[in-house]
Amino acid sequence: MLLAFRCALVSERVAATAIEANEFPKLSQEFGVYAVPRIVVDGEPRWDGAVPEAEFLRRMLAA
Amino acid sequence: MPLLRPEEQAKVRDWFAELERPIELLVGLGPEETPRAGSGDVDFGAEMIRVCEGLAELGDRVTYRVEEEPEGFPRFPAVSIRPDGRDVGVRYDGLPWGYELGSLVGGIVEAGREESTLRPDSLAALGEIDRDVALDVFVTPT
Repeated sequence: MLLAFRCALVSERVAATAIEANEFPKLSQEFGVYAVPRIVVDGEPRWDGAVPEAEFLRRMLAA
Repeated sequence: MPLLRPEEQAKVRDWFAELERPIELLVGLGPEETPRAGSGDVDFGAEMIRVCEGLAELGDRVTYRVEEEPEGFPRFPAVSIRPDGRDVGVRYDGLPWGYELGSLVGGIVEAGREESTLRPDSLAALGEIDRDVALDVFVTPT
């Protein structure tokens, strides 16, 4: 989660939101959240699980 | 139940003492979705205020305020982490309890730095973004 926050703090172009899956079950269902962290970029589920910083940036920017 | 154990409080106090700029926590309250079964009879909005109030007590540079349905908040309760009171697009939707309290504390610490802890190549890549990117990270408290 902190990587996403760090990206948003650096770039005005990036917004990062943590969403507590149990508290928003409809939204979690909509995005097929079965494992966490589930990372959604621009409304599209992209990957599950923590990845190293360089890989996080690569996946985020490739989305 | 206290928000943090005494030894955790001491650690967070130390981190908050190092903040290089003030951080405002804007708590947004509004209509809440019915949480997943097993979440118990919890007043999530009241708990969110308790969490932010508790964190603000641990550092002079951390403040919080509460608004009903503030602009840009699609879900409630939620908290926006605002360095110098500015909305920089960092928000936590839902109650950050358990393990996830660490994400909120970590977000405050990161937002309180003048210099990012990201690697130089990451900063360069972020500097070249020419479109808006919305990152949503689904998390759970355990």
